[in-house]
Amino acid sequence: MADDLAVFAEHLVKRFGERRVVDGIDLAVPRGAIYGVLGPNGAGKTTTLRTLLGIIEPDEGRRSVLGHFSPREASDRVGYLPEERGLYPSMKARDAIAFMGALRGLDRRTGRARAAELMEAAGLGHAVDEKIKKLSKGMAQLVQLLGSVVHRPDLLVLDEPFSGLDPVNQEKLEALILAERDRGATVLFSTHIMAHAERVCDRLAIIAGGKRRFEGTVDEARGTLPSRVRYLPTRPDAGLADVLPHDAVPDGAGWRFQLPAEGIEGLLVTLIDRGYGIGGLSIERPGLHDAFVRIVGTAAATGDAA
Amino acid sequence: MNNALRTFRQALTIARRDFVATVFTPVFLLFLFAPVLLGSFSAIGGMGAASVADSRGDKSRIVAILPDAPARTMAAADARLRTAFRRSDEAPPVLLTRQPGRDPAAQARAAFTRDDFEATAVLYGPLDRPQVLYGPRGGRAADYLALLAAETVVAERPGGSVPRITAVKTQTERPRGSAGNRRQSASFAVFGVFLLNLFLASQVVGTMAEERNNKVIEVLAAAVPLESVFLGKLLGMFGVAVLFVGFWGAIIARLGALLPPELASALAIQAAVGLPAFVALFLAYFTMAYLLLGSAFLVVGAQASTPREIQMLALPISIVQMGMLALALAGTARPDSWIATAAQLFPLSSPFAMAGQAATTPSLWPHVAAIAWQLLWVTIFITLGARLFRRGVLQSGGPRPFWKRARAG
Repeated sequence: MADDLAVFAEHLVKRFGERRVVDGIDLAVPRGAIYGVLGPNGAGKTTTLRTLLGIIEPDEGRRSVLGHFSPREASDRVGYLPEERGLYPSMKARDAIAFMGALRGLDRRTGRARAAELMEAAGLGHAVDEKIKKLSKGMAQLVQLLGSVVHRPDLLVLDEPFSGLDPVNQEKLEALILAERDRGATVLFSTHIMAHAERVCDRLAIIAGGKRRFEGTVDEARGTLPSRVRYLPTRPDAGLADVLPHDAVPDGAGWRFQLPAEGIEGLLVTLIDRGYGIGGLSIERPGLHDAFVRIVGTAAATGDAA
Repeated sequence: MNNALRTFRQALTIARRDFVATVFTPVFLLFLFAPVLLGSFSAIGGMGAASVADSRGDKSRIVAILPDAPARTMAAADARLRTAFRRSDEAPPVLLTRQPGRDPAAQARAAFTRDDFEATAVLYGPLDRPQVLYGPRGGRAADYLALLAAETVVAERPGGSVPRITAVKTQTERPRGSAGNRRQSASFAVFGVFLLNLFLASQVVGTMAEERNNKVIEVLAAAVPLESVFLGKLLGMFGVAVLFVGFWGAIIARLGALLPPELASALAIQAAVGLPAFVALFLAYFTMAYLLLGSAFLVVGAQASTPREIQMLALPISIVQMGMLALALAGTARPDSWIATAAQLFPLSSPFAMAGQAATTPSLWPHVAAIAWQLLWVTIFITLGARLFRRGVLQSGGPRPFWKRARAG
């Protein structure tokens, strides 16, 4: 296992009854990276994260967190936001954050001071001494998130951190994730919302049916699909279909097809020579969303997905 | 009518859900079989109560300090007179006869301090002018001894004139440190530890439900070992218990100062290990009883996921506590019996039984061993509870055993 990995997992297996919820997953999260674990609902993302953190024990395989094969040994250097948010309703926001820091070894006085700073920076300064039960769901979620970073962890694990947040708070969360990475922390988070992953992830893994289906950068994920071309002729003609690639389909007044492996230049010359002209042309790189749908869809088609 | 039917149908829908949600839980089994526990513990309790009564009866004696000849005559008179008592609980305590020494009066007083029997009344002096000392609740026994003295005199002078016999009956205080006082102190210790724990330890049962309901358990389980979570819960509630006991202890101590001296003297603790050690042991056993019962209840309560399940645990928990009290009392009543050993060894009754033993037996080393034994069980309960919680609630298990892995291929 390399020292430059914050999280390492090899052939992790976790069964619930006879069902293999995590089915031989390998992960290698580099230190200082923002790493996304993407997957559809029920893919095994949460179980994978819980297994990595030692909340539950794997049935097979091994994992290490910050160089420790027993995740407990590194728990003071880890921050965790679970999927099911939970705070003591009658605790004040500041105390809730300090409490979460204290669980990870931070002294309460420092925790309370940092809690006020963090809340102020997150625009929650007015709610420092409010009880959790008086906060909105989104605010409470942010408080819990701040509680997971108050002890300045080396590894921050966030399970579906964006769910339940409005767009403004989602943006704040993205900023916080980037800030944590800039501080030197490794951020590992799960999501099924591609836009966030696309914006912040350095690397990602896509899992479906408990298995890892892809591992790499966002660009590499997008690269699993060819770019698509949108072409608008200046002279619509029925014979145009014979000139365009076989997969071309009408799209309004134009056509849409995959970027040919040999490039677009030859096709453009032909189109101009035959008088169809170029009224408009755009080459669209597939998004992470498309790549995700294809990867997960392939898994589903082979009967492997959840 | 339609509306009424609809309302009834809706009510049945809710009733069905509630019924299923209540019955199909492991906790319901505990609730269902609570009467079995009740029956078992009642049997033990009955044995305990009987033992208390028997031991009191077994050890109670009336004593006559007489030379051999009149002693034999008195024993014969006693055997005759006893046939008049049909019920054993009406009969006076068993008669013991003792040879008079140089100072029969001192010998009589000393009889009240004996550990091997509990003197209720003691007769000494010439039979036509006998002196009878009697302790608390010994009035009837003193009368019986006076009657026996008269019967003995009559029997020794058949056909002769019988002098007028006047017994001088004097009530005496049971000296401090007597077996009776120690047993009273032992019962106090057992009841004291029990009462302090009765309401306090059961408070622990619902504490994990709070974390489960508001989902904080996931945060805790990720940050600290579950054993720490369980121990923390237990210690937190123990702090509450200590505050409660401290508050009421201070008030009762103040009230105690206002008691009349005779009553205060009667209630004074007489412990074989000495008062300071007894107080220390009482507090230690209160702590151990709390930790043991609390950890056991915490483990059981942690498996419950709803307030309804917590509520259903109240009955079995109360029964278990009563059972432990009964077992400990039974042991205290017969310190040398197997039931005493069982009460001292069984983890949940051990603190009660050992608190009682502190009052009756002077040696301290058994307490050191008992506290170590009880701490071991607290550790076992917490470790077991954490494992059950991890496996059952967090759905985590260790790696499969190799034979299962091999079978799975």
